[in-house]
Formats: sequence, structure tokens, C-alpha cells
Amino acid sequence: MRSVRIGVDTGGTFTDVVAVDERTGEIVTTKTPSTPANPADGFMAGIAKLGPLDVSSIVHGTTVATNRLLEDRIGDLGLITTEGFEFILEIARQSVPDGYGNSYFWVKPPRIVPVHLVKTVGGRLDHLGGEVRPFNEEQAAEVARWFRSKGVTAIGVCFLHSYANPEHERSMREVLWREHPEAVISLSSDVLREYREYERAVTTLVDAAVKPAMRGYIANLSTRLGMPFSVMKSNGGVLSAREVVNQPITTVLSGPAAGALGAALIASTAGHPSVITLDGGGTSTDVAVVVDGEPSITTEGSIGRYPCKIPMIDIVTVGAGGGSIAWISPEGTLKVGPKSAGADPGPLCYGRGGAQVTVTDAHVLLGRIPPHLLGGEIPLDVDAARAGIEALAGKLGLSPERTATGILEISAFNQSNAIRQLTVKRGLDVRDFPLVTFGGSGPLLACRLIDILGLPAVVVPPDPGNVSAFGLLTVDVKNDYVRTYVTRDLDLAAAGEIFRELEREAAEALDREGFDDPVYARSADLRYYGQAYEVRVPAPAGELDEAWRAEVTGRFHDAHEKLYGYAYRDDPRHGIEWVNLRVSGIGPITRPVVRRRPPVADPPPPGVRRVHFEEAADTPIHQRAALGPGAVVRGPAVIEEYGSTIPVHPGFTATVDDYGNVEVRRD
Amino acid sequence: MTDPILVEIVEGTLASVEKEVETAIARTARSPMIRDAHDFRAGIHDRRLRKLTGRSYSALVQPVVRDFPIETMRPGDVYFHNDVYLSEGGIGHLPDLCVTVPVFHDGEVVAFVQAFGHHDDIGGAVPGSMPSHARSVYEEGLMVPPIKLWDQGAPNEAALRIMTRNSRMPDSLAGDLDAECSACLMGARRLAELFDRYGRQAVEECFDAIIGKTTETFRRELLSKIPEGTYVWEDYAEHDGVDEPRLHAQRITLTVDHAAPAPLTIDFTGTSPQAKGPINHAGDYADGVFLKKWLAPVLRNLADTPERMAELDVNEGVVPLIEMVFPEKGTLLTPVFPAPTNARTFVILRLLGVLAGVLAKATGGRMPADQETIRYTGVYGADADGVPYLMREVLGGGSGGRWYADGEDTIHIVPDSRNIPVEFAEARWPFRVERLGLACDSGGPGMFRGGLGYDKHIRMLRDASYMSIADRSILSCWGVNGGLAGRPFRVEINGREMDGLVDDHPVQAGEVIRIRTTGGGGWGSPYDRDPRAVAADVRDGKVSIAGALGDYGVVLDGDRIDEQATAELRARLRPPADSSGRFFDRGPGYPKLAGGRTFAEVDDL
Repeated sequence: MRSVRIGVDTGGTFTDVVAVDERTGEIVTTKTPSTPANPADGFMAGIAKLGPLDVSSIVHGTTVATNRLLEDRIGDLGLITTEGFEFILEIARQSVPDGYGNSYFWVKPPRIVPVHLVKTVGGRLDHLGGEVRPFNEEQAAEVARWFRSKGVTAIGVCFLHSYANPEHERSMREVLWREHPEAVISLSSDVLREYREYERAVTTLVDAAVKPAMRGYIANLSTRLGMPFSVMKSNGGVLSAREVVNQPITTVLSGPAAGALGAALIASTAGHPSVITLDGGGTSTDVAVVVDGEPSITTEGSIGRYPCKIPMIDIVTVGAGGGSIAWISPEGTLKVGPKSAGADPGPLCYGRGGAQVTVTDAHVLLGRIPPHLLGGEIPLDVDAARAGIEALAGKLGLSPERTATGILEISAFNQSNAIRQLTVKRGLDVRDFPLVTFGGSGPLLACRLIDILGLPAVVVPPDPGNVSAFGLLTVDVKNDYVRTYVTRDLDLAAAGEIFRELEREAAEALDREGFDDPVYARSADLRYYGQAYEVRVPAPAGELDEAWRAEVTGRFHDAHEKLYGYAYRDDPRHGIEWVNLRVSGIGPITRPVVRRRPPVADPPPPGVRRVHFEEAADTPIHQRAALGPGAVVRGPAVIEEYGSTIPVHPGFTATVDDYGNVEVRRD
Repeated sequence: MTDPILVEIVEGTLASVEKEVETAIARTARSPMIRDAHDFRAGIHDRRLRKLTGRSYSALVQPVVRDFPIETMRPGDVYFHNDVYLSEGGIGHLPDLCVTVPVFHDGEVVAFVQAFGHHDDIGGAVPGSMPSHARSVYEEGLMVPPIKLWDQGAPNEAALRIMTRNSRMPDSLAGDLDAECSACLMGARRLAELFDRYGRQAVEECFDAIIGKTTETFRRELLSKIPEGTYVWEDYAEHDGVDEPRLHAQRITLTVDHAAPAPLTIDFTGTSPQAKGPINHAGDYADGVFLKKWLAPVLRNLADTPERMAELDVNEGVVPLIEMVFPEKGTLLTPVFPAPTNARTFVILRLLGVLAGVLAKATGGRMPADQETIRYTGVYGADADGVPYLMREVLGGGSGGRWYADGEDTIHIVPDSRNIPVEFAEARWPFRVERLGLACDSGGPGMFRGGLGYDKHIRMLRDASYMSIADRSILSCWGVNGGLAGRPFRVEINGREMDGLVDDHPVQAGEVIRIRTTGGGGWGSPYDRDPRAVAADVRDGKVSIAGALGDYGVVLDGDRIDEQATAELRARLRPPADSSGRFFDRGPGYPKLAGGRTFAEVDDL
């Protein structure tokens, strides 16, 4: 039997499974409908579809945690915080989103914990961790018993300055264990040892909110699977299922992270170490930036309306996908998204009761996608799409074709603006980056994005629908540790001690995962004194000396200049402030080999269909399987495969590289 | 007809560029007012000086073009100004430093990217450049009329040296200016790409269409909801920092004529004389174009749902709908140079409320009750190393009740304005925050209750000075349609009550400064509020048991509602249906300044 590693990516609609032969690198993929009621069913069905195999390891990407948050399906959750701060969640950061004047009509969404389930306990620390007032055991016990009496079992604990000293939070946990043994507890000093109390509290509560569900799900899956497995994390690493139940927050948004990593590996094998990745789905598109093979990481992410300040791959999600709805605003302009028809009822052309024109309908009207899905399994109703677009066109006073191309152009602009904001935020010039597109709707707008953003190329990997599941197999074991240490005058001995402590914690965790040769990556967050945001830079390993300090501050000046266009390298008036010290513990795995493709013998000739680019014309339709390495397709043309389509506009050329990737460039 | 598809693309790109510029400024600026309070804005204007973007208020390009004709501008030029009286009304006080960058296409100026932000200090009589007792603008800091700060890419070092030399916080001033200039230049490059891609004519046609559809949408969806007629209302600032507290009126006479080219006429006649202190706003320039765009967002409350209100942008398209009539020179809104203006915030924020109030009269109460969400409170002194510091924050307050919802607690009118995290504050400044909560009972009682203000307790760890610039410390945020007023701003230092305007009050180490900010006004009669909502407010600590009984007529027995006793009490408390003058409630502070009168003449429907 072949020895394989398996990646299982549970998405909203489909569960994708990818198996890689450890010896040959051969890849087998399959797909099965997801089973939201119990995602473990779809997981097991997908594995079963592969047939009997010698499975050496399994990596799982799951949205169990994310969906609970996005759908507000979180059970009763309690917060315990410092005396005097019971309104911490109601007050939040006092900010009203969006426009000026909105404070008159804005309705604050419900808090993650309603105020009557927030309790406070006496005891106070200062910002260096010193005790101002001792922890009040008696009050703590009362609070614990109160939560027990109310049947609230998921509890987050966030005391002021616990990032500097976790003792009070740990005492609270002892009390809860004693008085309320059923409680599932998350301490802020475990989840995020970083300052800013509101954000740390919410991050901690998100962890507590998803813990019971994740524990149940992982336990169930472990039993049915009968072997250990790993779970994908949002930071671009994996962790054993056994460990991940202790910090489930690290798995939220892990699905898009796997896609970005898979695309990064495919692109760098093909000679593009730095790319933008674009995962186009039915309702939304996820965009990430990869520099030198590493996706960029943020700690300013959020899940739905909850800020989550744990490190995660920096992914911008824009409500522009195949199911995005085209509509006319009350002001009379054409808008696309963010509302989506989803997969059900879906676009008009699915013929399942959809009533609104979608991006997919525009593609099908123009003939840019075939009149069927998934290689012919699902026929599409072109007439329904046409009728809907004609109605829209009538209201706009445009032809149906112009309306359809307009819908696609607006959709491409929506994606472009998201890509632009992501790169601006990082100080990058989008024109330096090829775009890797995948997912069902990712490649459809490739040529328009090249055009609008001035991209050098778009790369479409083979099997673009399976890139996320493949990505699961490319991931190292990775844990992140942080300690806030705010100072303008870094004491090298103290900082060295913090790094050693963080590395000790990392080593313990990696040891439990069975890695005896771990890698530690240090980084530090710095800012110019007075700024509110930090810039993270990598920090060298080894002893901390003046050269080390100079190296890190030098990197900070460089990074600031790159991000924002200026720096104060030799200007002593602008002091540097150190804020956070970080360590990532990494257990490296062997990455799957991306194989070269053999030439295609006797490819069948392309077919022909009426396709509208600038005008309707008979256009060659290529099957992707028939295009071997070195094949060249000049636009206008369409390249089709199971689950995805690449329209090649006039003035563009697609070539196939040695690994089977299609590269589209402007002539 | 312009292409509706291109219009959408151009509008989306403008919004994206505006956001990119604001993101860049937020991430690099130094002043807490910009960084945390988000008191800064970017705006994009076309060659005809019309504002194209809709999320934000903004300054004006008019003063720059007045002093530097468009044809003299060159790529790489960056213009700067903060001079209130030479800003055509676009700049309200000197700490708002404004940067303007022209956008070029084929060698000609086609648009402007502009940003202004509230900086720490631009000199003048007190740290922070907001002296509440100022008698003239000369005490408020350095005035810079429009100048060229960068000349074709070369910074004007002399100007920068003069400006930083005049600031108590020169480094943060320099950092803020760098942040604004780099961000605007980046935005200008992005806009130039738009012109390159679609051509000047097509893009300018889209600008016309974007502005035009705002005009039409406001006319069709919002103005149509106001019955024709003439409506008068006024509200007051309570002190100017110089004279004893009194009523400084701001009056609007609103005339609605749907057939007129400008259906709304806003006449400020009846507004009080110019104040000796700094609460004046120089509004009567450029036909009031700044105030038109400043006030128009209030009109959005006339839309059918809060979701729709949020969709409506305010760009230059609102300007043709409004005619403004200013009284002669020498009033709060038509001050004569060099009248001081640094606390003009209270006057122009109040104007939003006056317009909301006059519209409430016109529409039978279909407007939110009052809110007051800006005041400055702070402490300053020297830290443990003897280094001087200034901690000043903008604490929000409760918003007013609406016909569809309670007001919200502790919010701020400036979009994305943030409070300062306690853990950040304690690491930087010598005090401890003992409590950050909501002020119980501060929300105005109503069928929809006003939102609550803050209750913040700061314990000083070293001797320091306390400062505040706050209005609504005597008068309240008004309730409407039977709703009652919220509680005013109140500060105590070890039990000693402070005024709203304080430059320098000594605080000893160990003493506690207790700050309670304003609650929003209530909407509708509190006796019509669902008793269960009142019980929940009591459970949550937002309303006291005494408040439930006295303000709402709800009798609680523990957490159980005594329904019969509640019905009886409410019947007794409810005013008779024909009582007049209760459409607005101005709270118990009003009679103190109004010679004992409990309501104003204009409060009658």
C-alpha cells in the first residue's frame, strides 16, 4: 500500500481531500459535499472515497470555530474582569464605524458577552506587573459560584495588566476549578500576552466561545478516525489536535491561510517567490500577499465584528465572488455585491429559484464559461441569465452585453481595490507581483486584473479548486509566543531573559509534538515614540548585545521606510520604543514535491463557442488537460477544466509551464 | 448620458483612495488627537473645488486656490494652512493643520487630495493650544495662511523650522506633517492613474454624475419628508470661558419650499453676538459651503431605516440644496478677526443639534434626541524623570434616543475616534484608572432611552494639573417628543466640583478625578417604555432602582416587575395630554441660565 499524507479542507459547500504519495509526490484529489450539521461526516466520507491507503498523517482545515462566530451561534459566555471595569465590552473603544454623522443613527451590535454576564473581582496590578491590591479570593469564589448557579460554563478571564503578570488570572482559574469544575476557561494571559485590555478581552472571549464546540468536534473526529491528526492554524502553521483544543482561537480563519500557503509553494516552485494570492469563491474572494515564499502575518485581524489580535496570515476578504448580486442602487448606478446568492438558490442560471443577476450569470451570457458546471454534471440555464440581464440592461439603458461586461468590470474593480489596500498597507507596489488565482471563480477575471493593476502575470495552478487542501500539506508545526515589554531603553539582559522564557515555552510545546530539532524565529514590535502602531521586524537569534540592538533597530527603520515612505534613521529627536517581543517555535516538516508534468501526446483540437469579449465571435475552447508544458494559447480563447475556467481576452496570451501552471500575460 | 458602469468604478476608486490616505495617516501620525481620537480627515476635491468623497467632513481647497492660482501649481507642490480667518471657513481652530496636494494629468491640475488633522500643539498660551480663556486668536497659537510647504518636491525647511519652533511638541508636529504629506502624495498618484486609464473627460463626467446623484437622492428621499413651511428653533452654548455662564443662542429658521431651486433655507439670524471667549466659529465665508456640508449629514436621519441612512454619502451635491443666510458680522457664527475660536467645536456641534431640533419640530418628532460627544479632559505635569507630559483625551458620551432604538452608550461623533486603552495610558503617564464605567442614570429617560456617558475615575500618582474644555456642564442634551434630557458633564476632584472650562487645576498625588460625561436625550415618553426594558436596565446597572421608579414609573420588587403598581404609578405621573411646551425637555440646568423659565418660546410646536 502507498504511504500518503492527507489534507482535508472542510469548506462551506465542499470538503476537499488531497493525498500526496510521500515517495513519488503523486497527488490524488477528491471532493464530497460538506455536512454542516456534523462536519466529521463529510470528513470521513472524503477519506473513504480515497480507498484503502497507508495514511502516515492527516492535516485538517476546519471552519467549525469560524462559523460559530460568523453566525453568532455562541452559547452563554461569561467574562470575569477587574473591579471597576464591568462595562469594558459596552464601552469598547467608543468608536462609531464609517461616516461622519453616523453617531446619530448607528445601532451598536450586541456585545460578545451581555453586561449582565460580566462579573468583576478585586485585585489590581500595575503595568510592570507589580501588585497594587491583592487578588480578592472571596469575591472570586462568589463570582465562580454565581456562574455555576446560572449554568454558564464557558468563561473568559481578563484582568488589567495580566500580560505583565498572569498571577491573578491563574489564581482566578484555581478558584474556578474548585468552585465551578465544569467551567471551560480561557485566560487572557494564555491567549494573548499583549497589552490593550479591550482587544485582549475580546480575543480571549472568542477563544472561550469556540472552545466547547471545538473540543466536542475534535474528540468526535479523533474517535472516528482512530489516529492522531493535526489542525491548520490561522498563523500558517499546524498543531496536533490534542493541543489545539487548548487554544482553539488559533484555528479561526485557517481555511484561507492554507490556500495562501498552497499557492505560495506552487508559485515559488514555478519561479515566483513573491506573489499576491487570490482565492475566488462563491460569495467572497480572499487575497493575501506572499513575499519570498512567506505570507505576511498580521495581529490586527478580526473575525466578523470581533477583533482577534492573535497572529494570523493577513488576508483581506472582499464580498466579490461568482454569486455576487448585480443590482441598481436607488441613485441609479449599477452595483455588484456584497450581497451574494450563495450556492443556494445561487445564480439565475442554476435554475434553482435564484431571482437576481449574479457575476456568474454575466460570464455565462457572454459565453466566457461553458453552459454547464463541474465538467457537465450540472447544466446551466443560459436563457434565464439572459432574461435577468436584459431586464437590468433595460433599466440602465444599455445593451445586455455591455451590462454583462460592466458587471464583470465592477467586480474586477472591487477585487482590485482590495488588492490595492492590502499592498498599500504593506508599502508594496502591486505591479511587482504576479497574481496566483485559484478557487472556482478566481481565474475568471485574470485578464481584467492584469489590466487594471498593471500586474506582470497571472498564474493559475492546476486543479485550482484544490489549492487550499493541498496547502494543508505544506505547513510546518508553528506556535507563537508574545510578551509586551514597553520601553525606550531596552535592557538587553531583561530582553534576553524574556526571549529565553518564550523559547522555553516553545520548546516544551514542540517537544510534546515530537520535534527534537525545532527552529525558533524571534521578532520584535517597535515604533517611533508617540506612534500608536508598531512595526514587526525579525530579530536575530543568539546573544543580545549592542550589535543585536543595532541590527533590530536598523531593520525597523528600513521596514518603516518601506511601509510608509520615511524613517528617522539618523535623527536622535525621534526615539524608538520597543513594545512586544515574540518567538515562533517551528517544527519543520518535509514539504510535498510539486512535480513536473509530462508532455501531452496527441492533444485533441480545441472546440469552438460564441464568446463575447469586445464583441461576439467564434472562439477556440481548449481543454486544460490537453495543454502540456510549453503549450501557448493566444486570446481570444477560453481554457476549461473541471471546476474552473480561464477566459483569455484578446491581447493576452496563456502559456503552460513545466509544472502545469497556466501563466497569462499581456502581449 | 454618462456610463453608469464607469460612474460606479470611479466612485469606488475615490472611496478606496480616501481610505488608503486615511489608513496611511492613522498608522504613522504621532498626536494622540490623530492617532487615537481619529480627529483627522482626508478628502478628494475636483478641479472646481467640489468635494467628491462622502465619508468625512473636510476642509476646503478654496483658500489654497485663492492664494495660489491653479495654473501656477506644479507636480510635487504641497500646500499648507491652518489660519482660521484665511481658510474660507474650512478650518475651525489652529491645531487643525491642513495639507493640500494637487493631482496632475497631462500637465494640468485635475483634482486635489487634502488632509487635515488635529495636532498636539501649535503654540499659544497653554499646552495643547486650546486656551479656554483666550480673548483673541493671538493667544491660540501660530497662524499660517496658505503657503507652499513643498515646492516641486523640495520641502520648505524654513517654514518647517518656524512651525516646529513654535510648538511645545516639535517632534510630534514634524512627524504628523510627514504623515499627512506622504499620504496625500500617495493618494494623488493613485488618482492620476484613474485619469490616465479613462481619460480626463470621462472621469470628469463621472464626477458630475456622482455629485448630481447625491443632489437628487437627498431631494427625493430626504427633503421630501419635510413638510413645507417655516420652523424656528434654537439651542445654546453655556459659557465662553470669559463671561459668567449664560445662554449663547444659535438659532436656525428653516424654510422649506420644495419648488425652489434650493429647497432648504437655513437662516442663522437671531444667533447671539460674538463671544469674548473662544467659542466662535467663522462660518460666513464661501457662501457657507463648509457649514452646508457639515450640517447635511443630519438630514440623513430622515431616511426610512438606519441601514439606508448609513448608505447616503454627503459630497458637494448637498450644496445646491441649501441656501444659507448669515446675520451681520459680529455673531457667534460671523466673528470678526481676531476673535478667538479654539473651542468652536461646541458651537458647530450644537448647530447639528439645532438642525435636528428644528427638523423634529417640522416632522412631528421623527429625529433623534440630542447628543454631545466631544469634550477634552486631561492632566499634565512632569513624569518621574522630570519630563513634561500632556495627556488629553476626547471622551464621548451617550447618543440620543431614536424612534427605532435607544441611544448608544459612550460613543463619539468622529468616525473611528477611539478612547485610550487603560493599559496604554498607565504605561505612559503617572496615574491609575480606578474605574472605567458607564454613568448610571445619565441617559435621558424616554420610551427610547438616551445612551449613557462615561464614569471614569483617575487616581493621580504624582502631582499634576487638570484641564478640561467641555460644554453641556450646566445644560443637558435635550429629550424630544416627550423624552427627557440626559445628565450633563460633571467632574469632581476629591469631591470638589469643577467647571466645564478648566485650564489648570492642581491635583495632588493620590487624589481621584471623577469624570462623568453627558448622557443622550430620551425619545418619547418614559412612561411608554416597556417595563421589561427598564428592569433590564436596572439589572445591567444603567438605571438605578430610584430612577426606574421616579423617571419611568416602574415599580420593581427585586428583579420582578410589579405590574399593577407600575400601571397605577404611571397613570399618576403621566402629564395630561394637552400640556404644552413639553415637546423638548432641556433639563434642570436650563432654568438656572434662563431666569427660571423651564422652556424656551421656540420649544412650542
